[in-house]
Amino acid sequence: MIVFEHVSKSFDSLKVLNDVSFRLASGDILGVVGPSGVGKTTLLRLITGIIAPDEGSVQVAQGAVGYVFQEPRLLPWRTALDNVAVALRAQGMEKDGARVKAAEWLGRVGLAGFEHYHPAELSGGMAQRVAVARALAIEPAVLLMDEPFVNVDIDLKSSLMVMLQGLLAGGKTTAVYVTHDLTEALRLADRVIELQADRTVRELDLSDRAAVARDWFARASAQE
Amino acid sequence: MASTSHRLNRVIWILAGVAAILIGWQLLSLFLPPVYVASPAASLRALGRLAWGSTLWIQVLITLKRLVVGLAVGAAGGWALGIASGLYARVRAFLEPIRWVGMTIPVVIVAGLAALWFGLGDFTVMVVVGLIVLPTMFVNTVEGIRAIDRDLVEMGRVFRFSRRLLLREVYLPGIASPSIAGLTLATGIGIRAVVLAEVLGAASGIGHAFSRASSWLETDVMFAWIIALLALMALIEFGVLRPVRRRALRWRKAEQ
Repeated sequence: MIVFEHVSKSFDSLKVLNDVSFRLASGDILGVVGPSGVGKTTLLRLITGIIAPDEGSVQVAQGAVGYVFQEPRLLPWRTALDNVAVALRAQGMEKDGARVKAAEWLGRVGLAGFEHYHPAELSGGMAQRVAVARALAIEPAVLLMDEPFVNVDIDLKSSLMVMLQGLLAGGKTTAVYVTHDLTEALRLADRVIELQADRTVRELDLSDRAAVARDWFARASAQE
Repeated sequence: MASTSHRLNRVIWILAGVAAILIGWQLLSLFLPPVYVASPAASLRALGRLAWGSTLWIQVLITLKRLVVGLAVGAAGGWALGIASGLYARVRAFLEPIRWVGMTIPVVIVAGLAALWFGLGDFTVMVVVGLIVLPTMFVNTVEGIRAIDRDLVEMGRVFRFSRRLLLREVYLPGIASPSIAGLTLATGIGIRAVVLAEVLGAASGIGHAFSRASSWLETDVMFAWIIALLALMALIEFGVLRPVRRRALRWRKAEQ
């Protein structure tokens, strides 16, 4: 569960979010779209609690928060296995159990056999899969993804999206997927909100997804 | 293959540098009277005499003990204070004037005051070494903490790493490289400080033995002590610091 009530946030004099409200139930997958610099990452950081709103309130369900960043953000001095295991240990799991579970999750993201590789020995896509395993292994109540596949090639992105859909399907994890690409959001999310230039949000009506996509691309072309 | 050839090339140039020092030293000893510069051969003979009579080993061990204790206490103190200062701006601001004083006062003054307060002996030399190496280690550690990838710290916070886990998994490995660089630098400064402190504030050790040889104009013995000092530094650097560095930063091999 995530609830935003009239949330505003500024950095110095720059207003990044203005009177943002939405409510997500357990298991909802929300897509957040909008161009660069409209506050998408700020919205995620408010959910993590790393920053606080200037006005309004943010309520997040109790439990672990998983985060897949734009870049893998793995500890370079730790192996793939330890990078996943350390997130589990942070949630209070004991060492051996964390390593067993980390190995199991690396297998689920297709990295069996790469457990003892350091991040520098992995390709960008493989490192991002470790980051996905780290975020999901902790069985998060809330999963946040900030353009997680922006730096991977299109084929890999497609397979990672399929993998993510499979992992999230039917679960209780509330997920927020931030992207500047509406098609990604439409593919993964049950609901989509658009952050707009005036710093407010608009929820897109997804009853006709094809119409939403047509309208989006028509507006994008008009702006160009 | 390329890496082996690169390494061989490097070794050849290092040996050429060593040869240049030895040739320069030999040439100086040919053109200057022996009272100014002892030849390499005469210096090695003097070193052999010191080693045979066990003076060398006793004085080297005395200096080594003082260096290691002073260095360990000073470096550990500088490291701990550096971590605290890197993490907390208030601690950094509070310690800044002390760091400035510590780095500005010359070794000779610290040694003179320590000798005045604590008399001649081990403790004085160790205090001098500790006080001299502490600010160097402190500055390197603070810079290491400040250079840590903030994205990794944010990742740790998002995944709710405890303070202890964040320190162990993010901060300490992140500052390993500058800490070891600081320790290497501190060791070099420490060995200079220990010798000076022994000249001014001790009745034993390499510095004291060098000073005594100097007052008796035993130039070959003075050069023998210089060789002993260089050997001691090489033992610490190649026998301790480099293996520690290799072990602590072995993950970097993956990056190469």
